[in-house]
Amino acid sequence: MELSTQDVLITEEETDILQEIMNIAFGRAASDLAEYIDIFVILSVPYIKLLRSADLPPYIHEEIKDFDKVSLVEQNFWGKFKGSAFLVFPADSGKKILSLFDGSEEHFESDPVYEMEKETFREVGNILIGACVGKIAELLGDVITYSPPRVVVERSHGSVISETLFDKDSLAIVLRTVFDFNEQNISGYLFIVTNEESFGWLKTALHNFLEQYEC
Amino acid sequence: MVKKILIVDDSPISIKIMKSCIPKDQGYELFDAANGQIGVEMFKQINPDVTFMDLTMPVMNGFEALQEIMKLDERAIVIIATADVQIRAIARAHDLGAFSVIKKPPSKEKIAAAIAEVEETLAERG
Repeated sequence: MELSTQDVLITEEETDILQEIMNIAFGRAASDLAEYIDIFVILSVPYIKLLRSADLPPYIHEEIKDFDKVSLVEQNFWGKFKGSAFLVFPADSGKKILSLFDGSEEHFESDPVYEMEKETFREVGNILIGACVGKIAELLGDVITYSPPRVVVERSHGSVISETLFDKDSLAIVLRTVFDFNEQNISGYLFIVTNEESFGWLKTALHNFLEQYEC
Repeated sequence: MVKKILIVDDSPISIKIMKSCIPKDQGYELFDAANGQIGVEMFKQINPDVTFMDLTMPVMNGFEALQEIMKLDERAIVIIATADVQIRAIARAHDLGAFSVIKKPPSKEKIAAAIAEVEETLAERG
């Protein structure tokens, strides 16, 4: 269920600041990936949503429902800004992304493609999630530690986000961006979820970010 | 001489930040537009001396708006202010006629330097 801003403690201005910070952070992450593999990432306007944690898995499942099966990289992060990031691709993008790394157009049946795809997703996840969350933290004056990424390859979209991952009674802010790898016809989603524990710090940090520009 | 400055960006916070970075003591007239399409219309109406343009926007993105503005006035000075710092994005902006590119978040120093460069160009043009 979507919550009104009155219920939840995050104002329209704070949402706008967070959206701009996400925009800057994902732009930087895309640039890092584009330097690593020769690709052009088409960015879209990020979207911020406040939800009850219990509604997070259905929200994410609804967002990615057009993908029959998905591959996902999940990484937790903690500092004052604390939460989880989910990078989601349609399952059939694995081989395309793999070819961007190793340059080959096709792989033989004998190749251990599954493992290679998994490693490729892990690498893309490390770059995009690390750069994006890292930049958000940097802009807000925080330092982040990451868990090792968890990679799930080719799973039904309804089962990739664990129902038990979040405290159902708390609130969560979701930062979502959609992106396309131009020339490769690959779309993906990045969700960054932070929970109620970080709200107090986040609100102060967002105002501090804006204050540095106020005269 | 720079008198009118147009800022095209879908983020009200980004517009606020840009405005705060523009020197206050020069008497610039500031205008803003919430997407590329509105930006092109405003460009036609006010004929700004310099336009700061975001790239990632709904309705009409910054690349398209830049293209439209350069069609209207090939000497238009459009500075791209963007979070999209991919080499190919920057190269594309230059190919379409952007005067320069500023990475977000901007700073007072970056904006002042960019406007000084525009002043020099306008002085050279006479």
